[in-house]
Amino acid sequence: MAKKPKADKVRRDLMADAAWGDGARSVMQVTTPEGVQLPFVRASFGERVGALLIDLIIIIVLPVIVMILLLAMPLRGLFDGKHYTTLSILAIFAMAFFFFIRSGYFMAFEMGRRAATPGKRALKLRVIAHDGGRLTPAAIFTRNAMREVELFLPVTLIVSFMQHKSWFGWIAAIWAIGLVLLPLFNRDQARLGDFLAGTRVVHMPKAMLSYDLVDMELDRSNGLTFTQEQLAYGEMELQVLEQVLRERKPAVMRAVAERIKTRIDWREPLRIEDRPSDEHFLRAYYGALRAHLEGRMLLGRRRKDKHDTDRRDPAANAPKA
Amino acid sequence: MDRSNGAKSGLQLKSQKFRETREGDWKALSRQLDKVDRSGLKSLSAEDLLNLPLLYRSAVSSLSMAQSISLDRNLVTYLQALSARAYIFIYGPQTRLKTVLKDFFIDGWPVAVRRLRKELAFAFLTVVVGFIVGWAMCAHDPSWYDVLVGGQSQGRDLSASAKDLAKTLGKGDVPSNAMLPPFAVFLMTHNTRVAISCFAFGAVFGLPTFALTLYTGVSMGAMVWLFAQKGLGFAFAAWLTIHGTTEIFALLIAAAAGFHIGMKIMFPGAQTRKAALADAGRLTGTAMIGVAIMLTIAGCWEGIGRQTILDPWARIGCGLTMLTLWCLYFTFAGRKAKGEGDGEKT
Repeated sequence: MAKKPKADKVRRDLMADAAWGDGARSVMQVTTPEGVQLPFVRASFGERVGALLIDLIIIIVLPVIVMILLLAMPLRGLFDGKHYTTLSILAIFAMAFFFFIRSGYFMAFEMGRRAATPGKRALKLRVIAHDGGRLTPAAIFTRNAMREVELFLPVTLIVSFMQHKSWFGWIAAIWAIGLVLLPLFNRDQARLGDFLAGTRVVHMPKAMLSYDLVDMELDRSNGLTFTQEQLAYGEMELQVLEQVLRERKPAVMRAVAERIKTRIDWREPLRIEDRPSDEHFLRAYYGALRAHLEGRMLLGRRRKDKHDTDRRDPAANAPKA
Repeated sequence: MDRSNGAKSGLQLKSQKFRETREGDWKALSRQLDKVDRSGLKSLSAEDLLNLPLLYRSAVSSLSMAQSISLDRNLVTYLQALSARAYIFIYGPQTRLKTVLKDFFIDGWPVAVRRLRKELAFAFLTVVVGFIVGWAMCAHDPSWYDVLVGGQSQGRDLSASAKDLAKTLGKGDVPSNAMLPPFAVFLMTHNTRVAISCFAFGAVFGLPTFALTLYTGVSMGAMVWLFAQKGLGFAFAAWLTIHGTTEIFALLIAAAAGFHIGMKIMFPGAQTRKAALADAGRLTGTAMIGVAIMLTIAGCWEGIGRQTILDPWARIGCGLTMLTLWCLYFTFAGRKAKGEGDGEKT
């Protein structure tokens, strides 16, 4: 009776330190053309707004810089009616540039070799096709053309109608806010352009491959072994333990080691110099638990967490003779 | 039990052995992706490029393996991220230019336009109705002209004499032929922006697209009325035809694309709305990339051709030739021969 709340407490303590960066983020399973399910972390609303703001700042600041450069250049001599060729090249350049900034920026960068706008790159966002297929130029065109309705047109309307103090400005504002907030109201966090193009924006963290925590030779030489009854945790606890061991915070490791020792009735060696440090103990326990759980996994008997009792497991359910 | 098993195999877990044998491939893939991220595709050698899909497949297969034998969370997360990065590269929009061009000009664009033919007919009808309405309103009461054409008249208003009007159809007051290309670029960028808006506004149930298309017809009708009244109807039609057959065709396709997405948002049909919208978006996106190409050509005709070709018959000839070419292209390009089947390309 008294044991149950205690067990819960251990679990909470273990979980409280489980700060897997993307544990709380929503994940979308995409089936690649090879038929493998790849999990993608959806980009959060905040990240997408952030990326858009970066891109908008570029869109606004770049033309200003170019204008200043054009004004600073000694161009006055060109208007004397003789330098039409130079002028026309300059005019074409300027018009193509402003067209690119206004209409082609998002499309060109997303179709380009880096497949993302500078804002998206800064926040590690990428665009993928929602069905796992190839991302086509047509999809990119559509998703970005829709920005006209979602962003540019309402903003223009708001500005022009607010100047005339017309109620129409408020309608445009509601329209814009509704469309901008659309990603918050659907599970895929897609905006109108994403729906129409069949695209989704995902977050691409660059994961590092760390070292393997299991070193059984060392554990064996330390003389740390566990009975099967002592390996009483499941996969979820194993992952929390992995996190604790990778972060290596002494206080956390001490607390976790103590919880585990109480739970499994660990008997410390009598001689003080034989007693393992918290980290040694936890790594040995992690190695043993992982070996145990992976062994079960190979037989198709996975154990989700410590409350998951496998009915087919004879060791757990066998009537005691 | 498991411990003793482990002892027999040199004290190693299966998942560890798995990792040891495959780690090299993963690292190699990661290095190549870093390289592409940093300095683009061109930094890869031909051999690397050929290797990349192989490394990607091996990473993906490692992932599905790892998910069933390893409980090392860091390893599985790493493989997921690695496969995802490689996936984005392999299935990104970037393929060989040759395939892109072939897919677009032979399979994509004409097929997309053909699939939009109902909407295209509707857009065409809208313009025709607008044209008749514009003409009829002005013929009924000339004061409508200022209301209908208004700001964009550029001197072509009611008070202008036949001589003034004839002048607007001529060479214009461009100081030098060198200034014609910028004019063409200006027209192209302006019209493309209008076309993109016309398309995107379709998302608002097609209504703004309809209004925009109708208005195009109305102002055209009003202008033709003005010139016809002064006996310049034929010259004006020639002036309009040389670029208009391409430009207005492109705008009609843009409007048709807008109508298509508006329709699909309201009536997705037998598919789920999500699937219907995704299909509609890809179809119209293809058509719209084509529209941008058409408007570039139209910009050249309007900016350069119209200023250098002044004879009305020649103008009409050029315009009708373009129209015929477009119609032939959209009708026949990319049609599969009988018996080839219309199944998906592999």
